[in-house]
Amino acid sequence: MSSTAGQVIRCKAAVAWEAEKPLVIEEVEVAPPQVDEVRLKILYTALCHTDVFFWEAKGQNPLFPRIFGHEAGGIVESVGEGVKDLKPGDHVLPVFTGECKKCAHCKSEESNLCELLRINTDRGVMLSDGKSRFSINGKPIYHFLGTSSFSEYTVVHIGCVVKINPLAPLDKVCILSCGISTGLGATLNVAKPKKGSTVAIFGLGAVGLAAAEGARISGASRIIGVDLHPNRFELAHKFGVTELVNPKDHKKPIQEVIAEMTDGGVDRSVECTGNVDAMISAFECVHDGWGLAVIVGVPRQDAVFKTNPVNFLNGRTLKGTFFGNYKPRSDLPSVVEQYMNKELEVEKFITHKVPFSDINKAFEYMLRGEGLRCVIRMVDE
Amino acid sequence: MRRQWCLFAQWQVQAAMDSLSVRHIISATATHQGSPRRRDQASPIQRKGIHTQTGRLCFPVLSKKSDFQEKDTDTRLSQSKQRDRSSSSSSEIAMSSTAGQVIKCKAAVAWEAGKPLVIEEVEVAPPQANEVRVKILFTSLCHTDVYFWEAKGQTPLFPRIFGHEAGGIVESVGEGVTDLKLGDHVLPVFTGECKECRHCKSEESNMCDLLRINTDRGVMLNDGKTRFSINGKPIYHFVGTSTFSEYTVIHVGCLAKINPAAPLDKVCVLSCGISTGLGATLNVAKPKKGQSVAVFGLGAVGLAAAEGARIAGASRIIGVDLNPARFEEAKKFGVTEFVNPKDHDKPVQEVLAEMTDGGVDRAVECTGSIQAMISAFECVHDGWGVAVLVGVPSKDDAFKTHPMNLLNERTLKGTFFGNYKPRTDIPGVVEKYMNKELELEKFITHSVPFSEINKAFDLMLHGKSIRCIITMGA
Repeated sequence: MSSTAGQVIRCKAAVAWEAEKPLVIEEVEVAPPQVDEVRLKILYTALCHTDVFFWEAKGQNPLFPRIFGHEAGGIVESVGEGVKDLKPGDHVLPVFTGECKKCAHCKSEESNLCELLRINTDRGVMLSDGKSRFSINGKPIYHFLGTSSFSEYTVVHIGCVVKINPLAPLDKVCILSCGISTGLGATLNVAKPKKGSTVAIFGLGAVGLAAAEGARISGASRIIGVDLHPNRFELAHKFGVTELVNPKDHKKPIQEVIAEMTDGGVDRSVECTGNVDAMISAFECVHDGWGLAVIVGVPRQDAVFKTNPVNFLNGRTLKGTFFGNYKPRSDLPSVVEQYMNKELEVEKFITHKVPFSDINKAFEYMLRGEGLRCVIRMVDE
Repeated sequence: MRRQWCLFAQWQVQAAMDSLSVRHIISATATHQGSPRRRDQASPIQRKGIHTQTGRLCFPVLSKKSDFQEKDTDTRLSQSKQRDRSSSSSSEIAMSSTAGQVIKCKAAVAWEAGKPLVIEEVEVAPPQANEVRVKILFTSLCHTDVYFWEAKGQTPLFPRIFGHEAGGIVESVGEGVTDLKLGDHVLPVFTGECKECRHCKSEESNMCDLLRINTDRGVMLNDGKTRFSINGKPIYHFVGTSTFSEYTVIHVGCLAKINPAAPLDKVCVLSCGISTGLGATLNVAKPKKGQSVAVFGLGAVGLAAAEGARIAGASRIIGVDLNPARFEEAKKFGVTEFVNPKDHDKPVQEVLAEMTDGGVDRAVECTGSIQAMISAFECVHDGWGVAVLVGVPSKDDAFKTHPMNLLNERTLKGTFFGNYKPRTDIPGVVEKYMNKELELEKFITHSVPFSEINKAFDLMLHGKSIRCIITMGA
């Protein structure tokens, strides 16, 4: 047991007091874990677009003050009642979606949408008592996605904590707890391109490049990257992308351009932008007879996917995925192992590093479209 | 209201396929025989009665010495004496006495859109390279025939011989045909399998680049001409089969060679609608034993999809149809529950989700209605649900859904002819019937002689039949 077990911990956290205002490093109180909860010491965290989207609070019910952050790596500090699978000192990745291992989804081979612990962006409190574990002078500070990793200590439901190989460097594998796994799994678990096949990736941000990395690992012969921003093309070749297409350079719809490049269409496509027009293009650019398109990017609330139904009747399949179809606790440890045995390359995703005190720089980089992942270190190096 | 749900607009399939895929066209073989030698008036062909129970063939007896013998239980024809009819005089292959000749026979000709078919005497030219002339014994009416006979909204092509669900026997083969011979039992199929293109080589696709369905074409690929004529005037083919004729000429890639012991008057329905629905479930939706399946549209295709779910061991098969009269019949096909969207205020996908604790495991859409397609997709369970679209839409409306329905791990697929490769897979479907895994008799609700073929149209237009068998030569 740690010396702080059972006690309130005072530590630093980056608090978002209002939408779109820079985060403020505050001293917060973190209550001990309750039943089925775990308190984690976060060592490294990274910024993902979902944090930014909810920090901007556009179009949803804003909930402030809040501690964001959901891509991270840390160590278990103490566990609550009933927790058997983890103990203090275990190396873990907190994940924004969980795995209770008991519901129909967890028991299904195909689904990772746990009924109890699937992503919930509205909730800012813990399930067990409906309250927050963070406070400043008694005033509650809300959780985000059940992780709130922009804090030196956080409290997370056991079902959302993944135990990993303690030898894995947390400053690298922390980014596997969201974006990279999302893209990687979209390709490896859902699109499943065969060796030698052709793959189109829409959107060359971190998720899209992770999808491309998955296609590279699968032995795809051609990985066609599609993006509106030519500045993204520079990095893409490191991730296996063999050709680049910018829809702005063409008058005809991008799906026609891709079909011409590939004798009728690609074998697989993976859509990683969230733009509904890109989703439609991603679907329509796959070859008839055997093509499969996988939708990853999360759309706006008013988005409508539409296509001519004949595109299904002539043999195209359309799937969507969530978190790369990985069950967090069951599957993520093996993704870490893929990195450890050098099948998966992670370093190339990390383009920036900042100390916790400079966390707002991570937001600036992302808002400017600079870089892929900025890792924030909680501890001094 | 004649055509409620089951409208087929396969011309759209063709148009979409052309516009959306760069077709890898394999040119039809260049060489072919010269034009068939015309003979003077051929001997009138007399027909013996055909056993409709077993479908065993009795070959027509010519007024002259006959080369055919009546078939017995050993279905192989004994070698007939050869007559030197064709240029390959040294061949030892058994040949019909009509090989190489024009055959005069009866066909039901559609002279104009929407007008009753007329039984005419037509001339059927011999098969050219890669073609086969088939004697049709039984045929049935499928809605696609009706749709193009009505010629609504497409480029009409008349006069035409419709028909594409049938069973028959090979009468003669053209140059280059090695897979089939005189006497083989075959099912003609409206979509083919060349076995050489990327689609045929892919395990997943059955959309042959050369021979996939083409509803516009009314001629043979080889020479761009028809094999049917009346007094020299061409009569057009339909989807490469034209089975409303005692004899027809078909590309070898569009013929499935089947077990000769299979009763053709039953298995003829496998050459289109039943296989389409059956395959949609067995090959594409693939429900696991004990899962729940929703089938939208309880016509022949939907009932075949339900039959597939029954064979797969589904625990619940929920039939959805606007026409309550269809419910009773559907029970024979394994349907366990019925939902009529008209009986509910809320969208049917919500009704189904409530009945099934979040959604069915699989849904198969067999109507062609866009609204039903959307409902079929949205009624499957998140995490693992799969929806399969079968019915061809008649309008240009778009399929629409909120993309979140995809992100929470629903899969949406479409299928064509049940994803069966005609030559490779249909014989296996016939075997399923032969070993009693698949039941076909329950699909056949009516039977008429060829002379009364228009009754089959009436029955379908009034929604009164599932399948009506038309017996040729009677």
